Amino acid sequence: MIEAKINGKAANTNRFDSVTNEERLHGFRNILALYINFAGKSFQQQLAYKFEYFIGVFNGLLFIFIFTSLWQAIFESSPVAGTTGFTLQKITAYAIFAMIIRISMTQDDVSTIAKIRSGAISMDMIKPMNYFTMLLAECLGQTLFHWATRVFPIFMVCLLAFEISIPSSPWLWTMFSVVWLLGYMLQFMLNFIFAMIAFWTVETFSFKLMKYGLFTIFSGGIIPIDFFPEWLMPFINILPFQYILYLPTSIIIGHISGDMAINMIAIQFCWVIGMGFMCWKMWTSGSRKLVVQGG
Amino acid sequence: MIIASMRSRMEYKLSFIFMFFALLVFYAGQVGVVVLIVTKFHHIAGWTLGEMAFLYGLLVFSQGLTAILFYSLNDFESYMINGDFDRLLVRPLNPLGQIVSSKFEIASMAHFLIGTTALIFGAQKAGIDWTLGKVAYLPVVFIGAVLIQGGIRLAVSAVAFWTTRNSSLVHTVIYSSKEMIMYPVSIYKMWMQVFLTLVFPLAFVNFYPSHYFLNRGAGDLLFHPLIQYLTPLTGTIVFVFGYWLWNQGMVRYQSVGN
Repeated sequence: MIEAKINGKAANTNRFDSVTNEERLHGFRNILALYINFAGKSFQQQLAYKFEYFIGVFNGLLFIFIFTSLWQAIFESSPVAGTTGFTLQKITAYAIFAMIIRISMTQDDVSTIAKIRSGAISMDMIKPMNYFTMLLAECLGQTLFHWATRVFPIFMVCLLAFEISIPSSPWLWTMFSVVWLLGYMLQFMLNFIFAMIAFWTVETFSFKLMKYGLFTIFSGGIIPIDFFPEWLMPFINILPFQYILYLPTSIIIGHISGDMAINMIAIQFCWVIGMGFMCWKMWTSGSRKLVVQGG
Repeated sequence: MIIASMRSRMEYKLSFIFMFFALLVFYAGQVGVVVLIVTKFHHIAGWTLGEMAFLYGLLVFSQGLTAILFYSLNDFESYMINGDFDRLLVRPLNPLGQIVSSKFEIASMAHFLIGTTALIFGAQKAGIDWTLGKVAYLPVVFIGAVLIQGGIRLAVSAVAFWTTRNSSLVHTVIYSSKEMIMYPVSIYKMWMQVFLTLVFPLAFVNFYPSHYFLNRGAGDLLFHPLIQYLTPLTGTIVFVFGYWLWNQGMVRYQSVGN
């Protein structure tokens, strides 16, 4: 879809040479129609692979199943389970929401790398838009699609299969929305920073693997940060990962609340600012490198 | 062919080492989760740290062996979509043989390293007493486990003959399902244990044979204790099925006249 957009754009800008204003307006309508056409095509494309779609939903449910079973086995037999501040019901809710939030934050982290590598990124640079915001907008669009097609059905199945209580307090939901959005931004910027590495080296896949390994363990997506040993805490606290999954999950299940929640959201916000700065830094120096090389 | 592709991957030494290191970090994340849970809660459904390590070692080592042979099947849908499969068909060799030997994967080396470490650590920690029977059975288990995983990969790839696309399926069946057997199968509900034994027999890759090596008896087995020895048999059945499905797919592919 992204590629299609680029092509559509290129095809249309060419036609802008030597046209009157009126024709230009007409051309704008054409562009819009073209965009809608492309969007429709990509939607159809998604629908064409129904099988893929069901497998994707199944995959999410499978992981929820694995981890709820795991916690059940542990909490039913372990003597220390009672000292963790979690009950079986609470940890089950944690496992479910952590996985759903993780799926709700699924982002495309390969297209920018591919563009930088192939040089197609220069096409985006000449557009009168900021690449970062453009990518973010595209990402949000895909996320909306994900919410409708994956997050919602998986959540429905979980509601039927498990006893989870959904919080009713509007204050909690507002807080969750803020935390989710900030977490989403962190995830996006983390992907962006790792994609920027492609300006300097071709080893992006290795970096991605490392990011994924760190994310798996330190984001709290599988194990709540509370279960980590004391000596690891300083290390976890200097990493942004826990603010992506652990914080939103803990807030929605009511594990973190009050002043503690406000404090953590403040730190999360600082991370967003800091990483935003880093994104900007890397983008400017990366694109300068590209321009100097005449890429 | 395997050696040639291995050489081509080794060409870029620094890149190779870096990739290897990245893989270790990646797996450290996976292992770290298990280690954290076991140290925090002492055991998972009665499986201690050493036993969990042995269970994991069996899985990862056999996964490495499987990857050496069948890795290129992961991307089989590209053969279908790009029409590369036709190129293989005109050669006077078995198409499967050509695909199987076309790519060498660095990941399998990381698998061997991690798998061996986990096996040695687990065996020591759990105090495995290496009798002659156990020493002899270990390679047999590996062969059986490779046949099970290879057969499943073949079957999944064969699906692409019908659906053209199968990458999500590959992802679920090959990778996500591995996550299931990282933990003792006994943590799951009964229907899932039956499923993992009779329908999608991944439990034979590490769970059942571990019982034999760890002298666990029949404590958490749902079936007759004899099941500990059935890995090679299951492997043969699964592989024959996978190969049969693959051949069915190929017949269909040719008859459509692609």
